[in-house]
Amino acid sequence: MGMNSSRFHSSRRSLIRSMVGGSMLLPGILSELLAEDAARSADPLAAKPPQFAPKAKRVIFVFATGGVSHIDTFDPKSSNNGRDGNGKDKLMGSVFPYSANKRCGTEITDLFPHLRDSMEDICVIRSMKSAHFDHTEAAVGMHTGSPTFARPSMGSWLSYGLGTFNQNLPSFIVIAPHLPYGGTQVYASDFLPAYHQGTRVIPGEQPIENLVAKTQQRKIQELELGLTASLNQGHLKLRQDDSALAARMKSFETAFQMQTAGPEAFDVATEDDKTHAMYGLKRGDTKSFAWQCVVARRLAERGVRFIELVDTGSRPNWDSHGEMNEHVPLAKSVDQPLAALIRDLKQRAMLDETLIVWATEFGRTPGKEGKHGRGHHGDCFSVWLSGGGIKGGIVHGETDDIGKSIARDKVDVHDLHATILHLMGIDHTRLTYRHAGRDFRLTDVHGHVVENILA
Amino acid sequence: MKCVCCFLLLVSIGLTSLHAADDVSPQTFLRGLNLNGPAVTIDGQRWDGKDAKQYVCKDKAFDAQNVELVPPTDAHRAKMLRSSRWGGNRVELSGIPNGRCTVFLYVWEDNQPETYTVSLNGREVERQYRSGPQGKWDRLGPWFVDVTDGKLVLTSSGGAANFSGIEVWRGEYDGNVSIPEDQLAFFEKRIRPLLVTKCYECHSQESDEVAGHLLVDSAPTMRRGGDNGAAVIPGNLDKSLLIEAVRYGNKDLQMPPDEQLSSAEIRDLEEWIRMGAPDPRRTATKIPRRTIDLAKAREFWSFRPVTNPTPPAVHDAAWPLSDIDRFILAELERQKLQPVGLAGKRSLIRRATYDLTGLPPAPHDIDAFLADDLPQAFSRVVDRLLDSPQYGERWGRHWMDLVRYADTAGENSDYPIPQAYLYRNYIINSFNADKPYDEFVREQIAGDLLPAANDEERNQHIIATGYIAISRRFGSVIEDYPQHLTIEDTIDNIGRVFQGLTVSCSRCHDHKFDPVLQTDYYALYGIFDSTQYPFPGIELDKKPRDFAALFENGKPGKSLVYAVSESRAADAALQVRGEPKKPGEVVPRGFLELLGGQSLNGDESKQSGRRQLADWLTDRKNPLTARVMANRIWQYHFGSGLVTTPSDFGHRGLAPSHPELLDWLASRFMTDGWSIKSMHRLMMNSRVYQLDSKSPSNNPALAVDPNNQLHWRFKRRRLDAESLRDTLLSHSGELDSSMMTEPHPFPPVDKWQFTQHHPFRDSYESNRRSVYLMTARLNARPFFTTFDGADRNASTATRDNSVTTVQSLFLLNNDFTHERASKFANRLLKEASSTADRLKLAFELITGRPPTTTEQSTAGEYFRDLKQVMESATVEDRNIEHDLWASFARSMFRTNEFLYVD
Repeated sequence: MGMNSSRFHSSRRSLIRSMVGGSMLLPGILSELLAEDAARSADPLAAKPPQFAPKAKRVIFVFATGGVSHIDTFDPKSSNNGRDGNGKDKLMGSVFPYSANKRCGTEITDLFPHLRDSMEDICVIRSMKSAHFDHTEAAVGMHTGSPTFARPSMGSWLSYGLGTFNQNLPSFIVIAPHLPYGGTQVYASDFLPAYHQGTRVIPGEQPIENLVAKTQQRKIQELELGLTASLNQGHLKLRQDDSALAARMKSFETAFQMQTAGPEAFDVATEDDKTHAMYGLKRGDTKSFAWQCVVARRLAERGVRFIELVDTGSRPNWDSHGEMNEHVPLAKSVDQPLAALIRDLKQRAMLDETLIVWATEFGRTPGKEGKHGRGHHGDCFSVWLSGGGIKGGIVHGETDDIGKSIARDKVDVHDLHATILHLMGIDHTRLTYRHAGRDFRLTDVHGHVVENILA
Repeated sequence: MKCVCCFLLLVSIGLTSLHAADDVSPQTFLRGLNLNGPAVTIDGQRWDGKDAKQYVCKDKAFDAQNVELVPPTDAHRAKMLRSSRWGGNRVELSGIPNGRCTVFLYVWEDNQPETYTVSLNGREVERQYRSGPQGKWDRLGPWFVDVTDGKLVLTSSGGAANFSGIEVWRGEYDGNVSIPEDQLAFFEKRIRPLLVTKCYECHSQESDEVAGHLLVDSAPTMRRGGDNGAAVIPGNLDKSLLIEAVRYGNKDLQMPPDEQLSSAEIRDLEEWIRMGAPDPRRTATKIPRRTIDLAKAREFWSFRPVTNPTPPAVHDAAWPLSDIDRFILAELERQKLQPVGLAGKRSLIRRATYDLTGLPPAPHDIDAFLADDLPQAFSRVVDRLLDSPQYGERWGRHWMDLVRYADTAGENSDYPIPQAYLYRNYIINSFNADKPYDEFVREQIAGDLLPAANDEERNQHIIATGYIAISRRFGSVIEDYPQHLTIEDTIDNIGRVFQGLTVSCSRCHDHKFDPVLQTDYYALYGIFDSTQYPFPGIELDKKPRDFAALFENGKPGKSLVYAVSESRAADAALQVRGEPKKPGEVVPRGFLELLGGQSLNGDESKQSGRRQLADWLTDRKNPLTARVMANRIWQYHFGSGLVTTPSDFGHRGLAPSHPELLDWLASRFMTDGWSIKSMHRLMMNSRVYQLDSKSPSNNPALAVDPNNQLHWRFKRRRLDAESLRDTLLSHSGELDSSMMTEPHPFPPVDKWQFTQHHPFRDSYESNRRSVYLMTARLNARPFFTTFDGADRNASTATRDNSVTTVQSLFLLNNDFTHERASKFANRLLKEASSTADRLKLAFELITGRPPTTTEQSTAGEYFRDLKQVMESATVEDRNIEHDLWASFARSMFRTNEFLYVD
């Protein structure tokens, strides 16, 4: 048999066909898999219709680790009246000057000049309440709704509820240079099936684990997959009723394609100079937060359901106990890319269907701590949202004049989760999973949609 | 009695107005003293506890927190009342300012009525007082006395008096909140009718179910409030939830729910609160408990006593190999379904070997089985596997799934527990030794309290309580250390694992679906609150402590283990809405009402109660213990349980597919001395275990019962994470199959600096079996999350068999896969010399069978093609022969035949 007639030598397309559909030994059930509809029913990650017309199709969730000081960022408080940290109660107003976006009036500090310019597209919630005052519990709580017990992450719930659009990429991708507090728990699927867990991407040359073919010649991998497929076909002949076996064969096809689709999605080299400039991304950079933001847009375009960007990890981060000026470089590295992400999505007509949520685990104390820092403060903090279904240019909720307590319209983590699900077309009380004798929800028995911020 | 109270009340109101007229300076609270208990808050006043200074009392102390008080009262007053001093009482208080003061004395009766006389500073103030029946309490006084030497002396004579607390006021005080007449009139005319007509339906003693646990039918309950907090705070409009609710400003709290009150009515309520919420309704009512009809609840299938049904008759009498088969076949016949035939011998030995050891069969074991034509050939294989040390490693791992075993504590810095491995090895050794299950349970709950023949046995018993010790830890702070969450984790696990019940649902309220009361939860809570858990260290308190000592020469020695011991024994107070800062009534330690409601008798209450709990759990009359475990053993053998919700035998779980079989198994389990190995033999020697997993496509059962709940065939399973890893290491010849008897290489304790910013993050690799890998709670090993490993933070009753792209990527490109394949190639090259022999060896190792002729020619074709590709590129240091076999191995490691067990 000549080389070209061998069943192991084939074009990539026919290789896939031989693995999944139609040819040679393949029985009926597999050819069905190729048909779009059958693939849907067999694939738990196939896109599912929401419960009602959604405002957004996907979420980009940005998590700033360490506890961003609300007073020095999105909820600035006057530093007049002796609030310089040296009074009896050590009260300290915003360390940084602040001013309003002239068009919508939202005031934020000079740490974020680019974002200030985008405030018309942003709704700031200043009345968030954290579930805990320690990093790990609060960070896990922000992701899962439960600061103590292991529960599935919000991205896993959305993957479970809605599936995803692109079967060649995971439904829930977490781009995290370092793990935040709580480690892998923040993107765990817990009791939900494992394919809903977040796939962690580490910024760099090889962002997804095991994505780069190890065989020195690509052709060898194709041959190996051909041999596996051939052996599987013989095995399947007597086991045609077992859909797991067919799904396993399909998963190798997807994995094979992801080797191409994945790197392509993460390769920002094809982005033009204008885009690089807009995000502040240097050519060849694969590590900065700007890179994370460009990749987030690319993943959004490619149909990933839930994209999380972790801004720093559990060390050097926003946890500025001793010196508030530590916020300066951290803000600088995210300000322009985040504003660019909003602008970029808008100019591509994608902002309307993409919900961007920026959050942190808690705020920081109005009183000074240490030389010039602030402590953990769970009683109030700020988050912001933009895009799909969000009323831009507004501020929801209010804290008292020193930023210690919520004065109006408290929003807790469950309320935020309920609102995110609502924008995705899901009633948070009706997205349930039966586990250990009880129907679990992302919002447990809590949560109210924050109606005032809906467009 | 009630009439007298009303009368007194009216009199006191009269007196009050007189006082007001006389313009006497207002009374001030001087001191409250809880004579035998902690500091408490009563009627808004802070009382000292028994450790306070400036008093002397030498009487006998006692505490009986389980007696029901008459009338019921709030938690703090109840706590104060039920702990007291008794006998011929004498209490001397010093440091009292000279001048006129008022004294009240709280007394109560804990058993038989007594009659006694009370004197204050030598004067008889209460003559021939009758204490009344059990639970009756009284606040005696007011007694006015002129203090001249800074002292107050209270004594009793006659019968045995129980003095609980003393309350002292400066000046004369009638003991009641004064209500001016005009205010009383306002209340009676405007407020009481409003409350009665608009609120009592849901918020009074008469209500069917008291909404939010709030009663508005007395002043104390209104001020104490319900789940959301105080409904009324006198004088404080903003903080009184009653006002917030009637104003309809908060959309989560709008009362009455149907229709808002008129603005005049709201104004009246506001006015009333502003004037101090005068309210003559004194009797604090108790929230009526939801009563569960236990007799009715026990009719649910899993709560009925275990029966011992006779195996049913079947038409095809030749089919059953065992009684189990009769139960299965009877149901199949009833449904007119035909079971498939027996599995081939190769499939069967691969199935049994993975099942009992988590490893593939060796080719020589396959050959021996094939050559054994005797009828008992298979049962000999089962016996051999049960005798191998790998059995305990496999089945011990199942138990580790259930008890959420880990080598770290799980709080935010994830402190290591270097001694945890001793408990892991205890589990493995117990399975290998076929320790009776009831003993196994007893030792894990209360090993430290069990008799032991020698130090070695005692030490194993102590190590067994590592089960309780490994409960998850939370928080990083010393003050308010959330021990209640760790206890919840313990109770949750005990409920699920041993009883198949979600007991911890009752932490905040009575269980919504199952007959488990909130008091049941706190009856268990008291047991673990009386238990000393070892402290693994936290960010702000890094040094581990409170470990248990192992015995040497009959005495506790120097070597410390992560296990529990006894702490101060006491009943615990119920926590309202599960909040430890909202104590409710004290609940006597005991077992679930549903399962017998046993409690601690006499001296038993001086210990934690774990020993008794261990007995209650393993009582043969307990309907759940044997059923739950028999079902788990079935589940691990057959891929799913007869009850497919193995940790939920309650109303939300699913009913058994074969209830009689389950009872028969549970009953056999107990009569066979709770021997787990007997259960393995019983199940594996049945025909149903030995059925084929394949089915002809025209079998009607495929359509009727696609999930195989009726067991008409065997269920195919994917290799679990541990089996996959261990198998790859075994094939490559690298598996270190020795038991790990040393701790993981954690750094020494004095070097620990773990914080939430820098938590413990190491991961120690080894070539030992996966069961011995260090398991951290906070950070999972990617391999195990990828292949559905157990949750390290919560009990895992069933593993997923998921099929994901990430798994396939691992098998395609991970170094681990490639390295094992490469080593496997070396092994083939070494152990066989011809291509045909190597191919045969590879197939026998990976699939348990030799290759077919088609596969042989497929392989030949493959090697030819692959060689051409390899030779077409120049790659340095290429050993083509090795690379061909490594490539072949990778392809085989990705096949379904390798990844699934028929």
